[in-house]
Amino acid sequence: MRVLAIESSCDETALAVISGSGNAWFLEKNAVFSQIAIHQKFGGIVPEVAARKHAETIIPLLTETLGENKLADIDYLAVTAGPGLITSLLLGVTAAKSLAYASQKPLLPVNHMEGHIYSNWLSNDELKNNDKNYFPSLALVVSGGHTELVLMKGHGDYQLLGTTLDDAVGEAFDKVAKILKLGYPGGPIVSKLALDGDENFYDLPRPMLNSGDYNFSFSGLKTAVLYTLEKEKNITQEAVKNMCASFQKVAVEILVKKTIKAACEYKVKSVLLAGGVAANQKLKTGLQSVCDKNNLPFFFPELKYTGDNAAMIAAAAYYKLQNHLEQTLVGKDIFNLGVKSNWQIFNK
Amino acid sequence: MQEFISHNLAETENIAQELLSSLADKSILALSGNLGAGKTTFVKFLAKVLGLEENITSPTFVLLKAYDIDFADFKKFVHVDCYRLDAKEDLADIGLQDYVADTSNLLLIEWADKINNLPLDKVLHIKIEILGETSRKFIIS
Repeated sequence: MRVLAIESSCDETALAVISGSGNAWFLEKNAVFSQIAIHQKFGGIVPEVAARKHAETIIPLLTETLGENKLADIDYLAVTAGPGLITSLLLGVTAAKSLAYASQKPLLPVNHMEGHIYSNWLSNDELKNNDKNYFPSLALVVSGGHTELVLMKGHGDYQLLGTTLDDAVGEAFDKVAKILKLGYPGGPIVSKLALDGDENFYDLPRPMLNSGDYNFSFSGLKTAVLYTLEKEKNITQEAVKNMCASFQKVAVEILVKKTIKAACEYKVKSVLLAGGVAANQKLKTGLQSVCDKNNLPFFFPELKYTGDNAAMIAAAAYYKLQNHLEQTLVGKDIFNLGVKSNWQIFNK
Repeated sequence: MQEFISHNLAETENIAQELLSSLADKSILALSGNLGAGKTTFVKFLAKVLGLEENITSPTFVLLKAYDIDFADFKKFVHVDCYRLDAKEDLADIGLQDYVADTSNLLLIEWADKINNLPLDKVLHIKIEILGETSRKFIIS
């Protein structure tokens, strides 16, 4: 089986091909065109610019990745249908629909967040070869738009245990960076400055830590950062570093404590980390440490698969197709596929 | 122009109630205020007053989230957050034109000052100012 996946949910245009059968599959191609440098100068994303860039990039990227004989040996197409920015998603979905219809190949829509979970299968051979031993698994999915604890009972079988009630944790990093006037994207900058800061300098609140459920709240933490800084007469570089460290400590502590509590309650056989915030070193070491204490295998994605990419979409599609979990779209039905910008896949 | 002072969340909920009962022909609520002022919190109260059971989470990352409602002629509660936008975009460029044109949509737009061409006759501006840790001033015009 050979699957071509297209991803364009935000500011990366990406294509990937996975080939193989059963557990014996490999990532044959993986190309990402990132627009981050373009959006950096604006301090945020510009949807129209992102969409135009996707439009300019997608066909050359396809030719570059697959050669002139684009779809000859492809069996299935997969595309990120949501969640994400409508204007960005539209480009990838339209390209995938056109290619699938013209080449008469079946098309499978894939959820972007489910893709993030499968970045673990791209990064860990032990998980890939013996995944049956690791279900049920608890996945902590953390990004700019999501903070979710998901019980994964098997491929495509999810139960949402908890979610943020307001801001996603990645968004909290971005907004704290904005409050501290540090630039975009905020996560990596805050983490870098935190290295030289005193994480116990500011005592910030830990919202929902003892709420008794698996939900999160990060909006109040952001506001607490704002108020704490307002009390400072002049904000030195030292204060900024201390705030980055103190904020990161609290954010990570909340995530780690809730994750391990859920892992124990649901008696899972492994813990998975997924999403853009999986790049955070402090979060990885925090989870590794509590998982070690509880004799739980802990998997996390390689750095190159934490950001948006099509390889994870191809992997998610591959497992759905292998296990016959979903119907593909064929013929005229392909045109019924629309963009699902708020697509929730993890249901209660 | 109207001004309200809220000292706590219960009073903020009352303001949300008050506002929804005096919408007249407005269908776009444009919220402004600094980070942490409580724009999203206010939107959560508007949703609560309208009986929306789903939890309203920040749409910052995806730009907008839409929910089903049944209130006056409104069928959809469309929560938009322009925070991530570079200043001054046109509705069409951010995929919002169709949402604004559809009169069955009630739009709640955070950081609405980043949009160039909102139809001003449909807009109610809500400015939230921080007075203290829990108190806020709401300026409605």
